[in-house]
Amino acid sequence: MRALLEFLAKYYHWMIFIVLEVVSLVLLFQFNHYQQSLWLTAVTESVSRVHNAEAGVLRYLTLGRVNEELTRRNLILEYNLQQATRQIDLLSHDSTGTERLQADRMEGIDLIHAKVVTNSVMRRDNLITIDAGQVDGVRPEMGVVCGTGLVGIVFLTSDHFSIVLPLLNSRSHISCRLRGSEYFGHLTWDGGSALFAQLDDIPRHARFNIGDIVETSGFSSVFPPGLFVGKVEAIGNSDDGLSYKLRVHLATDFTSLQDVYVVAQQFQPEVHRLEQQADSLIKQ
Amino acid sequence: MVITFLQRLLWLVALVAAQMMVFNYIHLFGYATPLPYVFLLLIFPLNSSRWSILLWGFVCGLLCDFVSLTPGLGAASMTLTAFLQPLLLKAMAPKDSLEDMQASYSTLGLWGYVRYAGILTLVFMLTYFLLMSFSFFHIVDLAIAFASSWALTLILCMAIESVRSSKKKEREN
Repeated sequence: MRALLEFLAKYYHWMIFIVLEVVSLVLLFQFNHYQQSLWLTAVTESVSRVHNAEAGVLRYLTLGRVNEELTRRNLILEYNLQQATRQIDLLSHDSTGTERLQADRMEGIDLIHAKVVTNSVMRRDNLITIDAGQVDGVRPEMGVVCGTGLVGIVFLTSDHFSIVLPLLNSRSHISCRLRGSEYFGHLTWDGGSALFAQLDDIPRHARFNIGDIVETSGFSSVFPPGLFVGKVEAIGNSDDGLSYKLRVHLATDFTSLQDVYVVAQQFQPEVHRLEQQADSLIKQ
Repeated sequence: MVITFLQRLLWLVALVAAQMMVFNYIHLFGYATPLPYVFLLLIFPLNSSRWSILLWGFVCGLLCDFVSLTPGLGAASMTLTAFLQPLLLKAMAPKDSLEDMQASYSTLGLWGYVRYAGILTLVFMLTYFLLMSFSFFHIVDLAIAFASSWALTLILCMAIESVRSSKKKEREN
């Protein structure tokens, strides 16, 4: 308190000066129309600039949410495109009841959004952790996709997190096919670049070209058919020489993976249960 | 103390009256308008309290504003000039000056007084014209009006100081 009084005693003329200037300027802007209008114009412009800057910052801060929404939208559109293409194919060709039934079964897919918590691309067996778990409806064996393509399959789940076995893992085997044909194979990764994977077991009589699209085959309950995986980059032979081994340029950029969606298919638990029963019967 | 107050009051009334009745009607070449009421601040001695200079400056500016119909314009300019006057006088006063030294031709010398009065009137006129125009849209016209008004004000202030000095000498003799 004493220090404050000393300060006021020492610099009181500053306060008088400021008060008198403020009074003068209030009079100036209050009773002179010219200055008043210029002042209002300047203030309005300044406030507009501040609001504009604020809006810019807010826009930047909400980019994450926008990106998330765009990823989801992109995925839905991609899926709808596949569905529409399939419908056109079914309607334009002599389709059978079985094909129609399969197309109908593709409906009812639920997408669970998740953020990538940890990710690696440098190891031989990479794993991805996402922030969605059993509470969110995620179960093992569910497929995981992002806005541009395939990511992997859910391996382990806890209440709030899940471990995903991505394409970039030596134990990953995903059934894929070449778009426009029914030739399918297994997509694997043998290390090296995170941009490329291999599509094995494509039969020798299959006809295709470099640049052809690789998509999911739908021959499992994990992924619906027609999800974009990548493009054929190079053609080679398998080790035994009985089939082709294609080098696939993956559509998913694993190095910048942020938003993913877990594909929860309506009939997956049922199919999975049946597959398990079949396995146990065969083993007996 | 009371005499000093009355002397300043007399100066205040005289300068405001002169501004109201004479100088407000002068627009030399359509540009130069003298505002010699700033002279009131030039006569404050070295040992004046800063708050009193500020108040005198503010009141003088405000009165001139009322008679010139420019509320706040002169008051703001005079207050800023009054704030700087003690600093300037202290910086320009000779080292052996008395505590109550007053700026004049005899104490600062002719050139010293011209610099002192020139800087203070410059601050006053610059503030006044900037607040009046509030933009640099007609910068050439503004510069001409400012420079000519400043020169005319400075000449008038020096003329008033000449009269004041001579009267003071007569009284001393």
